[in-house]
Amino acid sequence: MATKKLSFVVRSLPYKTEASRLALTHAIASQTVEIYLNDGDLVEASISYVGDGVLNCLKGQQGMKHYGITTIEGHAKNTLLLDMRVLICKEDLEKFGLSEGNIVMDAEDIGGETSAKIVAYSEIQKEMETADHILVC
Amino acid sequence: MGKLTIGTFSSLVGSLSLDFAVKLAEAAVKKGHKVDFWMSGNATMLAKKGQKAFKDYSFLAKPIQELIATGNFQICACEACAEARGYHKEDCPDGFIRKSMDWYLASTFDADRVLHIGGD
Amino acid sequence: MKLAVLMSDYRSGIDMIDRLSADSLGIIFVGNGVYHAAVKDGGKTSSLLGKKANFYALVEDFETRGITAANLDSRVKAVNYGDVVDMIFNDYEKVIWI
Repeated sequence: MATKKLSFVVRSLPYKTEASRLALTHAIASQTVEIYLNDGDLVEASISYVGDGVLNCLKGQQGMKHYGITTIEGHAKNTLLLDMRVLICKEDLEKFGLSEGNIVMDAEDIGGETSAKIVAYSEIQKEMETADHILVC
Repeated sequence: MGKLTIGTFSSLVGSLSLDFAVKLAEAAVKKGHKVDFWMSGNATMLAKKGQKAFKDYSFLAKPIQELIATGNFQICACEACAEARGYHKEDCPDGFIRKSMDWYLASTFDADRVLHIGGD
Repeated sequence: MKLAVLMSDYRSGIDMIDRLSADSLGIIFVGNGVYHAAVKDGGKTSSLLGKKANFYALVEDFETRGITAANLDSRVKAVNYGDVVDMIFNDYEKVIWI
């Protein structure tokens, strides 16, 4: 029985390209990977938002209203609903003048119990160091 | 020898990043490694039969078939990404698999190295 | 960790690399990233070359762009796809694409 850890590092801006959307949907896919693996083997994904990537976390996205597509905000909430480890770079949020009140921190409105963590970049560096593989998106 | 899992999301023809991924896969297989090649997003364009070779544009269909023939290369397209783009199962070239995203995650489980080329 | 970075861009991603730390860091310029290895902007070489790392540039990509090995900054070594595979498997534990 083994667990492999993947660190998804989201640095891309949302919507113009699908890079960050696909990062989240792929990370979420770690929840159903057992069908391919031996009993007890798991793939555990975490998500870290850095640089421009922190802007994926802004609340109030209206992608469905204007383009008929689910929002990155919705996917971000799903990651928390699924109890994934979500880290948001503190220095990058501050650089954009953002704080907890501006961004998706939890999924309580859909029954989630896990919150995102705003952390220093050094914590995200550690997350990358402890992962088996790093996937930058 | 080891296993390399490549996840690629870059457009066929529109971005040479997809060509990079294929050439890296070729080099890895040539050295005796196994390669799993996952295509999602715009990279699913590669999972469409009938690509034509023009000197102005990348033509990856042939090197992909040669890689498949080695037996050390698996290529899989994201079913949802392909269908969203109008590419159906019957459009897939021989030797291509179509699965959901968890195939890629599962591939990383026993990969020695994972390279995620996450956008155009 | 021993980390290989495949740097594919010239104008973006520098901030990401600036922050990375590793026991052994290899920056391999591929795609448009090869311009970091050879072009001077305003007379200055790329700021990335000042980072503590081993630098490489992919022959297939710099020659495609009209750059020769003679044009490369002295800190950058020319490598081909086969070399990149060997580095990924033998010299570095993890590999990322920027």
